[in-house]
Amino acid sequence: MGEKGKAVFRVVIDGSQQAIFDELTRTDRALGAIFNARLHTTGLKPGGRMQMRTVSGDYTLVDGEIIEYDPPRRFAHWHRFTGMDDPPCRVTYELKPVTGGVEVTLTVDDMPLGTKTASEMQRGGDFILKNLKAIVETGRPPWSTRLMYAMFGAMEFVLPKKSKTAKWPLERL
Amino acid sequence: MKPDEMDAVFSALSSEPRRRILDILKKEPGANVNRVCEFFAFGRVAVMKHLDILEGANLVISERVGRERHLYFNPVPIHMIHDRWTTEFSAYWAGPLARMKYRLENAPIPITKRGGKRG
Repeated sequence: MGEKGKAVFRVVIDGSQQAIFDELTRTDRALGAIFNARLHTTGLKPGGRMQMRTVSGDYTLVDGEIIEYDPPRRFAHWHRFTGMDDPPCRVTYELKPVTGGVEVTLTVDDMPLGTKTASEMQRGGDFILKNLKAIVETGRPPWSTRLMYAMFGAMEFVLPKKSKTAKWPLERL
Repeated sequence: MKPDEMDAVFSALSSEPRRRILDILKKEPGANVNRVCEFFAFGRVAVMKHLDILEGANLVISERVGRERHLYFNPVPIHMIHDRWTTEFSAYWAGPLARMKYRLENAPIPITKRGGKRG
């Protein structure tokens, strides 16, 4: 019981390292690469609290804490899904210049195996990197993702009640 | 995905041992080279060669932990190839058809039985 796993995802993106880093950490608008969520944080620095909320702000999808913030190289945080009762896992983005662009590696550590969190992270890793590449290289996510985001806006009410932002204050007392 | 990246993925996938290596790593993320070798009759040098090709195509990610190499399957390139030729509409039909093919090919007996009864 409680076995932990690890998953690694990688893609090479033809773009500037800073632009890629910004797409993962920007707080001024929704993150098109990461499920069109808004990053809310008490400060982009180790120990800073972080959350991903829906565009309306009414629902908080993940809740966590920043471990590393080293632009434009590394960004790491703990997080857990507010809609699931699983332990948190660690997410690390590592950016490295290579010939032909920037190699982006997304590592998920301490993934609680056999849980819904693990299957979400498995699918999410693919999704994030594929969209990140499209956004940086073409200026927007692929059509299928845009369609999905349009649905998200209209379907917010299907999210579990326990994910309501009112239940997840960013600042912990 | 650039044409040369895609070439690398297809040529890496055009070998049964390499496809099997991906199966192994999908099942056992973080396996080391020795573990992968256990599945093959040929030697370590050949396995390493296959791993290099898979890594070059970005289908395998290796992480050095001390003196060991931990290997992971990276699904992103295959996902991007899938996206290139699949629209929402074709995915809707391709899924059930592919499942039907698996079902029919893996379980031919119930079909012949049913046919027999009718005849």
